[in-house]
Amino acid sequence: MTGIVFDIKEFSVHDGPGVRTTVFMKGCPLSCKWCHNPEGLSPTPEIMVRTARCRHCGLCKAHCSHVDCKPYERCLHACPDGLVSVVGKVWDSDELAKKLLENADFMETSGGGVTVSGGEPTMQADFVCELFDRLSGVHRAVETCGFCGSDKFLRILDRVELVMMDVKLADPALHKKWCGVSNEPILANLERLKKSGKPHIIRVPLIPNITDTRENLFAISELIGDSPVELLPYNPFAGAKYEGVGKIYTLDGGENAHVDLTIFKNAKLKA
Amino acid sequence: MKCRLFYTFFVQSIDIGKIIGIIENVRYYNSSAPTVPLFNIISGGTLMSEKLLNYILEKKHHEFRVDYTENLAEEYSKKGFSPEERMADRFERLCLAQVPHILPEEQICYVRTTRQIPDCFTEAEWSEIKSEHFIHELGYISNLSPNYEDVIAKGLLACRESADEYSKRAIDNIIALADRYKAEAERVGRADIAAVLTRVPRYGATSFREALQFFRILHFSLWLEGNYHNTVGRFDKYMYPYFKADMDAGIYTPETALALIEDFFLSFNKDSDLYVGVQQGDNGQSMVLGGIDENGNDCFSELSKLCLIASRNLKMIDPKINLRVSKNTPIEQYMLGTELTKAGLGFPQYSNDDIVIPALIKKGYAPEDAANYVVAACWEFIIPKCGFDVANIAALSFPKMVDNVLHKDLASCESFDDVMAAVKREITAECDRVTESIKNLWFVPSPFMNVMLTERKYKNFGMHGTGIATASDSLAAIKKYVYDEKYITSEEFVKAVDDNFENTPELLDKLRNEAPKMGNNDDAADSVSVALLDMFADALDGKTNCEGGVWRAGTGSAMFYLWHANDIGASPDGRRKGEPFGTNFSASLFAKIAGPVSVVKSFTKQHFERAINGGPLTLEFHNSVFRGEDAISKVASIVKYFIDRGGHQLQLNAVNLETMKDAQAHPENYQRLVVRIWGWSAYFVELDREYQDHVIARQEYTV
Repeated sequence: MTGIVFDIKEFSVHDGPGVRTTVFMKGCPLSCKWCHNPEGLSPTPEIMVRTARCRHCGLCKAHCSHVDCKPYERCLHACPDGLVSVVGKVWDSDELAKKLLENADFMETSGGGVTVSGGEPTMQADFVCELFDRLSGVHRAVETCGFCGSDKFLRILDRVELVMMDVKLADPALHKKWCGVSNEPILANLERLKKSGKPHIIRVPLIPNITDTRENLFAISELIGDSPVELLPYNPFAGAKYEGVGKIYTLDGGENAHVDLTIFKNAKLKA
Repeated sequence: MKCRLFYTFFVQSIDIGKIIGIIENVRYYNSSAPTVPLFNIISGGTLMSEKLLNYILEKKHHEFRVDYTENLAEEYSKKGFSPEERMADRFERLCLAQVPHILPEEQICYVRTTRQIPDCFTEAEWSEIKSEHFIHELGYISNLSPNYEDVIAKGLLACRESADEYSKRAIDNIIALADRYKAEAERVGRADIAAVLTRVPRYGATSFREALQFFRILHFSLWLEGNYHNTVGRFDKYMYPYFKADMDAGIYTPETALALIEDFFLSFNKDSDLYVGVQQGDNGQSMVLGGIDENGNDCFSELSKLCLIASRNLKMIDPKINLRVSKNTPIEQYMLGTELTKAGLGFPQYSNDDIVIPALIKKGYAPEDAANYVVAACWEFIIPKCGFDVANIAALSFPKMVDNVLHKDLASCESFDDVMAAVKREITAECDRVTESIKNLWFVPSPFMNVMLTERKYKNFGMHGTGIATASDSLAAIKKYVYDEKYITSEEFVKAVDDNFENTPELLDKLRNEAPKMGNNDDAADSVSVALLDMFADALDGKTNCEGGVWRAGTGSAMFYLWHANDIGASPDGRRKGEPFGTNFSASLFAKIAGPVSVVKSFTKQHFERAINGGPLTLEFHNSVFRGEDAISKVASIVKYFIDRGGHQLQLNAVNLETMKDAQAHPENYQRLVVRIWGWSAYFVELDREYQDHVIARQEYTV
């Protein structure tokens, strides 16, 4: 079957053990205000313009008759600098697996593997499961926000060697406010993950004054218990890609508060 | 408490051998600083005299410099001096013009105090010489690896015995200058330096420090004689006996040895601004570490490690570090090398013994000489002590060959095979033309180089091969769109290229964004590059040069990635007129590449055993790749992967686009920002804008 992927990154060094290839699945049920991959939010292909180098010549806005440009307001083939492209490519799981396995020898050398991230992989759970089945020889990891039904969550869990799961906010109301949805399914899946015995890492993005408060971190530490935690410092360039997909980054950002790692039993700050 | 973002190393003593173990074991959470950080492998503080380091960084030694602008050429011409006489006389005068200065707290002395080296010949004389001879570059000897090993062991007095009249004069002048340095050392109360100079350069070195000082005098003298791109050779091999003896005798601890090596490395940077090549930094002070010896034993030693660490600590562009590796090299060596890469110097450059040695043997080098190979100024493989190769005498532009075929043959080619046959004819004809054009090669005789390089077994010529990715992508595009898909006729394609794609935006879009490109492990493009390099090797195989040596095909570009790109207009890969080629053996600048693993695969398919003049693949990494606990081993693993797959030569850059852009805007804040250019590293702010822009353009597509 097919799925929609918005990026494939070779030599990914921050998404699990060893050197990995990371597949970014398009579409996410959350809408976190600090999301740094806004092109991964919508589940369908969309146009992206690399605005930083745009000379505003207007050629891409002129009328064209290309079939592949039809869904969009711009021509994909007119930009002299190649800045206009569609983000989101349809991949067949067999073909994608074949492509990923081309680098299996290097993954083995470096102790790496394949990580499926997003967007949110569980939104395309059937495709992701099929892909993982075709990658059974390599180390497989998933990065998930955990917002999905138990069936999808467990099916993916069953097919990976490592789960990296985000827990952003412990308080349901705050979660709804900042991420757009309730955290109830996330916390239920967190319990399933803890009980599964599957190797996992809980990731907490440190968003200034939103998630990096002592109250939130303390509450998360209570929820996760002994599970290993990686704290992700706020990325001040998180808003960089919004303009390119016609969105506006609304977060003010700022700097992380003084984070006390000793709140957690087993935490480290991710570089 | 605040958590540490970086590894900090708290070790009581520097047991270098344990560093790797420490790298793997250190974790930073909840750690409190237990002891004084003696050795911090990330921030890389120096152990040498801070006073001396700052003195050089502040360029205080430049105050001793005077102009030397005598018109020697006119004088020599009037007097009817022979070339040997001129070189001997000029060297004598320049030695006499030096004013010895001992810099604060330095252990290794010598600093040049004259700025210029006037030419030995008038313009009219050069014209006459050039009418009869092929003159390579400036005409003076360059790009060789002299016999430091034997001279340091024997001493100059012993060398003098077998020297001719001119070489004797050179030696006498070197000794006289050393005596004046000794007197100055005594005058300023530096008995330690005076003691070293009592022994060297007259007699062979008996200690590590004497050997280092001896090297400094020899290297300084080679430059002062007017030779250039004076390389360093297999430093850790010929220095090791002195180092080991002193370490065994307890004269140094690892810390004090490291401090001495840093002091010595700093000496390469005292006068280097006077040694300008195509750009500042292109001075050829290349040092080779590691690799196997003639018996197959690994030469990588504690000294090699200290050299890697000294370079990392100093963060200066000289000496330029090369590391010889092979399939048997343990990952720890790659990790130490990667620590240096992380420092952002573009060092070390790696070369693969498994490929280079057999290839050199195939070209006629004796196995024991091939095993001892080093690099010339950039990456050309040469033989120390007995090689007199001219490894950069010419360059073939692959894209120009394609351009010729495009305009002469494409219309009549019925199949892509016909196109490739035409390309082969062009390459062969061009190689014939170039090799026949180089006759009666002449170098200005160099009396002191004659002392440093008595045996001249190899007189082979090397030819660079530039723009292979541009050419391969171009041919792959012609195959796909003209012959396979018949999307465009050959006439239309030629016209589109000649019009710089002004009227064919959709073709341009296809070519730039959809056509096969090297760097993606796509055989459609990669297989063409394999064929092109084979054609180049075929064209030079069996040719004898005017010195009786052979010709070697290479994958380097030197500055031709800019120069050759301006020789042609647009190219069929979608490269517009004026856009440069990639440097050396690298992907096209605008190609969208899948990532470094695919790049390594694309650039290890070729038959380097047939094209061994040198020229590396360059991998550019955004410096954020080096963050994180396992970053060093992760980057090291791709270097090892490249070598294990049979790649021949690799350089890596750790760069930050934002930093470079800011450095263009505010150069005053980035005096020490270093980038790799083609076979050497440079201070970014000292480069001409077009070279800066090229480095920046390379990053736009970096992972």
